[in-house]
Amino acid sequence: MDLSRRRFLQAAVLTAATAGATAACGGGSGPGGGKDSKNLALWYWSGGLSDKVVADAKKHFSGVSLKTSVVGGDFKTKLLTGLRAAQSAPDITGVKGEDIASFLPNADRFIDLRTVGADRLVPQYLSWKLKQATTQDGKLIGFPIDIGPCATFYREDLFAQAGLPTDPAKVSAELSTWDDYFKAGVELHKAVPKTFLVNNIGSVFSMIIGQGTQRFIDENNRFIGDQDHIRTAWTTAVKPYTLGIDAKINDNTWNAAISNGALGTEIGAAWHALDISNAAPGTKGNWRVANLPGGPSNLGGSFLAIPATSGNPEEAFKIISWILSPENQARGFTDAALFPTAPAAYKLPALTGGDPFFGGQKTIEIFGPAAEKIPSAYEAPADAAVSAPFFSELTSIEAKGKDPDEAWKDAVAQAKQIAERQGVK
Amino acid sequence: MPPTPVTGPASTGPASGPGTGHARHAGRPAQDRPRGGPGGGSGRHGRRIRPVSAGSRPGPRRRVARHWPQYLAISPYYLIFTVFMLFPVLYTVYLAFQKWDGIGDMHYVGFQQFRFLWDDPIFWLSVRNTLVIWVLSTVPMLCLALVLAVLVNSTKRLTAFYRVALFIPSITSLVAIAIFFGAVFSNNFGLINAILRSVHMSAVPWMSNEWTIKLVIATLMTWQWTGYNAIIYLAGLQAIPSEVYEAARMDGAGPARIFFSITIPLLRPIILFTVVVSTVTGLQSFTEPQVLFGSEAATNPNSGGPGQAGLTTLLYFYHQAFDNNDFGYGAAIVWAFFLLILLIVLVNWRLVQRKERRP
Repeated sequence: MDLSRRRFLQAAVLTAATAGATAACGGGSGPGGGKDSKNLALWYWSGGLSDKVVADAKKHFSGVSLKTSVVGGDFKTKLLTGLRAAQSAPDITGVKGEDIASFLPNADRFIDLRTVGADRLVPQYLSWKLKQATTQDGKLIGFPIDIGPCATFYREDLFAQAGLPTDPAKVSAELSTWDDYFKAGVELHKAVPKTFLVNNIGSVFSMIIGQGTQRFIDENNRFIGDQDHIRTAWTTAVKPYTLGIDAKINDNTWNAAISNGALGTEIGAAWHALDISNAAPGTKGNWRVANLPGGPSNLGGSFLAIPATSGNPEEAFKIISWILSPENQARGFTDAALFPTAPAAYKLPALTGGDPFFGGQKTIEIFGPAAEKIPSAYEAPADAAVSAPFFSELTSIEAKGKDPDEAWKDAVAQAKQIAERQGVK
Repeated sequence: MPPTPVTGPASTGPASGPGTGHARHAGRPAQDRPRGGPGGGSGRHGRRIRPVSAGSRPGPRRRVARHWPQYLAISPYYLIFTVFMLFPVLYTVYLAFQKWDGIGDMHYVGFQQFRFLWDDPIFWLSVRNTLVIWVLSTVPMLCLALVLAVLVNSTKRLTAFYRVALFIPSITSLVAIAIFFGAVFSNNFGLINAILRSVHMSAVPWMSNEWTIKLVIATLMTWQWTGYNAIIYLAGLQAIPSEVYEAARMDGAGPARIFFSITIPLLRPIILFTVVVSTVTGLQSFTEPQVLFGSEAATNPNSGGPGQAGLTTLLYFYHQAFDNNDFGYGAAIVWAFFLLILLIVLVNWRLVQRKERRP
């Protein structure tokens, strides 16, 4: 009896220990990666690439086995963790546009794509976008999947009610500066009281920053977030708030606002069209697209990169350049609203057709020229971190009625502090 | 909050008078909840639960040798604890003195991160937010839980149903709850504002005013954890011998008098336990504001909502470490915060213990 109880205990212990060990191991192994040259792992996020193009890539590259993982959750954090060990790192990975700058200081973790054949392809792609993935000493660590050329989406029916121009060309011409745009917003709000011009002033601020050639930190790693170009953007962004044409939407109610006509315009990237049509299918045909006031701007747009531990960088780049060829980018535009980074794609039928959501308007006539004219600006690794207080303080103005000048002072003070923490001079 | 059954203080029986000894046991399940956080508390309390062996105590080495199957049996917990809790906790101590972006080289910076912390108004704002949300959630939560427990304890029918119903919120996905609350409290299109408007009252901007934001988060936490605490109180209530109540009734005490003179004093060890656990977990609010206030935004993610009113310290830590890739600073934040939680737990402890000494 005693003996058998002891044996029972031992068996239980072994079982428990095995279970524990299994659980422990289970936690460690993420999506598979490999160092051998025949099995390549590709990580991207849902909607980051066209699933159809990826499926075709598997068939097209029959010489290697391409294993794809659609990684959910916080992609950057998972990639950071994955990159720490060769075994867990993918051979090809997506890098989100807002994260690419923060990877540049660790460019040695990635293959310089110019060494594996990117050189001859570079002229076909937008140079300002390639610059975002280029280190100061000229290494190219990412190949651009898509971009977010920005425009004004507006409700043609509401514009007509307010006696504003309705034709995209006319809207582009008459609402060409931010002040013209705000003036139209005041008229719109007067004619249709429930309709506001912008969803929040942070979106205006980010558009204006994107229109400039300088951001918050310059090439010499100096903080310039307190200088005139940011101050002007700030002052302009605050105008819709003081004019009473700011819907002040900072919570999850944007969907409802866009579908019930509380927003007369949306300023956003090309991919934002999908957000609008998903949130407000009932407004189909009422929307149009016009040029962004104040010139072209960009928001978002991702990259494909090859981690330095990749088992077969040459083949990996062949796969990347195939997935991102102009023809396949056109398919990505149809499947996943990924706006192509190769201007050759803008002439393909997938992009030149009319969009029924926009009343049959050929939106490429707005987005195409904008994409090629987007100013190139230096984006420092700490740029996103340093810019955060400006957005928080703009939200404070909307939420608490904080005095804009005081908010500006607080934003600059906080941004300076973050800059110091991030090692910016 | 861990679903640890709280048999410890209850089974010892408060009939002998709620001594400090029992109260000390009550600290036992103050483990970290599974949803993450720095989890500093566990190790500290873990040491207290060493089983007290009866009779003579042989030397420690012999004891290990004799009881090896038992030690082995409990080892998986400690192994997993060491790998996933203890090591990360110790590693953050090291990290707090480094500047590190996650994959590059680390640089030793001494106490610089803590100096930054001291001068960082947003860190102090986040501490204030966290404390306000904690008070707003814990006080009504524990009061409601006690009332609910007494009510359920006095019913004779459907008791199993009530217990399950009370427990369900605490095992519901926090993200789902947060999304639901976001829809209910939404400024322009929420359920509550729709009701307010239908009775011709003006809508409240729940999700943009700095106080209502905290109130929404606190309401969410109250909703989720009231039932859990009620179950714990219920277990404590059932350990109070019925003779005590009988004697009170014989002496002519009404329900209110019984509640304040019998129930609450005899439940004190349990109340202490729930206060400690609610302090540790309530101060670690993170998912609630993260889900409620657009964490997925590409510009300015995890800012804690309008006016940063929902920015709790753990959310700020997450933002610094994982959005800004400033892992050293993130580590400094959680360690400073851990010391703060420790301080508050100690203050709570003192307060409740002093009350106990009173005759």
